[in-house]
Amino acid sequence: MSGAAIRTRSLSRQLIGGVLLAELFCAALFSAVAVGHEMHGRRRAFDVMLRGRADSLMGAVQDAEDPEDNVTVDPTELVLPAQDVYEVLNPSGRLLGHSPASSVELLTALNSSHAPGYFNFTVNRERYRAVRFDGVRVIDREEHGGYHRTVTVLYASPTRYMWHGAVEAVWFYIAASALLLAVTGIALVWFLRRRLSPLQELAAIASRVSTRSWEFVPPTVVLRTSELAPIALSIEVLLKGLQQSFERQRQLTGDAAHELKTSIAVLKSSLQLLSMAPRTAEQYEAGLEGLLLDCERTEELVSRMLMLARLEETPAEQSESCDLRSVVRAVAERLQPLAELKQVVLEIKGNEPRFVAMSSGDADVLCSNLIVNALQNSISYGRVSVVVQAHDGVTELQVVDQGEGIPHAALPHVFERFYRADHSRSRASGGAGLGLSICKAIVERANGTIQIKSVVGSGTEVMVTLPALPTPVRRATDRPPAPRA
Amino acid sequence: MRVLIVEDEARLANNIAEALRERCGFAVDCAGNGTDGAAMTEFKHYDLLLLDLMLPGQDGLSIVSQVRRRNDRTPILILTARDQPAQVVELLNAGADDYLTKPFDLGELLARAKALIRRGKGAPQPELMVGRISLNTVEQTVRCAGELIDLSPTEYRLLEYLIFRPRAIVSARELLEHLYDYNWQHHSNVIEAHISNLRKKLRAVGEETTIATLRGRGYRLEAPEQQQ
Repeated sequence: MSGAAIRTRSLSRQLIGGVLLAELFCAALFSAVAVGHEMHGRRRAFDVMLRGRADSLMGAVQDAEDPEDNVTVDPTELVLPAQDVYEVLNPSGRLLGHSPASSVELLTALNSSHAPGYFNFTVNRERYRAVRFDGVRVIDREEHGGYHRTVTVLYASPTRYMWHGAVEAVWFYIAASALLLAVTGIALVWFLRRRLSPLQELAAIASRVSTRSWEFVPPTVVLRTSELAPIALSIEVLLKGLQQSFERQRQLTGDAAHELKTSIAVLKSSLQLLSMAPRTAEQYEAGLEGLLLDCERTEELVSRMLMLARLEETPAEQSESCDLRSVVRAVAERLQPLAELKQVVLEIKGNEPRFVAMSSGDADVLCSNLIVNALQNSISYGRVSVVVQAHDGVTELQVVDQGEGIPHAALPHVFERFYRADHSRSRASGGAGLGLSICKAIVERANGTIQIKSVVGSGTEVMVTLPALPTPVRRATDRPPAPRA
Repeated sequence: MRVLIVEDEARLANNIAEALRERCGFAVDCAGNGTDGAAMTEFKHYDLLLLDLMLPGQDGLSIVSQVRRRNDRTPILILTARDQPAQVVELLNAGADDYLTKPFDLGELLARAKALIRRGKGAPQPELMVGRISLNTVEQTVRCAGELIDLSPTEYRLLEYLIFRPRAIVSARELLEHLYDYNWQHHSNVIEAHISNLRKKLRAVGEETTIATLRGRGYRLEAPEQQQ
């Protein structure tokens, strides 16, 4: 993102806005249809009314009782609205009668040539709707079967009143829609706020999590919401994992600092003790010897810590491989004096070359750590056996001692860094509690596994399982990349 | 004075023990793990406990709580490689008197050890007086009216222990327990010999303060009545 703050959008506001927009659209559509229907109905009603009034006008056509046997219109009995306009013509176009209050202009406009049927016209900005039809009036039906007189009726009424009603209806629809919109809007806000409260609670709880406070307990209302439960649960799992790894990291840093500080405390106190009072040359010599040993121990601690860091930080190289059997033999040869010192028989089994995907340096560290551990834990006149064998595509390295064994409670922790099953003794024997951690890191880097079994009083067995590599025909560096599990 | 060091790093424990013996004349015992350390505190021989925080067996904090639950008022100085404030607060609240973070200055550790012992015995000042005798715990010297009395280290330690408790009866056994570490063969007549020498040296400078022997009960540092 660019430096500007991200604009946040509220989910509930979007929802409310969306629903209200849809409602508005529906209301508009409904109003339009309703108004159209209303207008149509009103126009039809108007037309019927127009025709009805025109028909009643027909009823007012009577015999004029003049010599030409004409008819005339007598509107005195008719009750017609004052603003209506009408004319009655005979077939020859002579005006038989018209609305008494109408202006000449209006009558002329009505009587302009039109086909029979409904039509509209405007006079002085007043809109009229009119009907023209030819009707037959039977006069003196009782006397001679009646005289048939054909007349043309023109009848118009201003549409103003009709439109006035229509506009009122439209306003009614609009007002009702607006009211509906407002009511549903408010109801929606309330409802959404209420329904979305689990989401807000989840957000509030999640925002409280930090590297200092890992507590994340989703409320039951969140867990009962089917959409939110998976999110809450996965956040919970994620946070637990994060917390554990964070705590582990913190513990590790603390442990490393503890070890280093203790080492330095030894060096510093040794130096200060030596310089506290004048000493003889022999005392200085003994003191310096002790200091040198302290320095070497500190050096070893640092190099082991750095090795562990390197193993865990840098990925393994694809082309690394070595013959585990020859490494085991070389290490055993080197450790033979230690075995003799401890009066332990060191026995190596396995004659075939077994290639595994790790550098010979790492394999050396792995084997010497495991064998030194076994020798140190072994009882005098005991036996340490190291077996290298292969089956089912895996190479196994097994180191078994006849030592005191590791207490059951300590077993799950032996691969933890700085862990010492017997704290003081391992420290006295120079271990920093990193040996097995380094072994584990080396084995895991080569996609293998390491397991430890122990019975107190009878001994310990370490089993390393590594993917087997085919024995290279040419020199290892000329080989194509090794297949990896 | 006798100090217990509970520290799993043997080299560090030895250095501190050596410095305490050499510079303060204290008897020192070491325990390499928390379980042994906790058991040794129960004898109540010690005038100061020096505890490492991270110990195999039982950690320093739980030893502190255990000691204080027994209503044991022995001063406790904690050595720790971790100096998070929360941990320090927890330690002090559990009953520890002071703490030092590793790597510490050996001189500072000795000074703090001495100060804690003094204060534990109700004397915040480094110089203690009885009659005309003044004993300087920093210089480890004894003077009578300004004149230096030449004492052997054991005689000094005896007088130092007694001067913290003037006019109280201190048994020979208590003196043995507080002045010698476990490597010493306990013989109460050794104490008697040193007391006798100390008495002679005090008398030689004309000091009326003396150490009375109460047969079967112990010794008492007796100063002349001040009203005289």
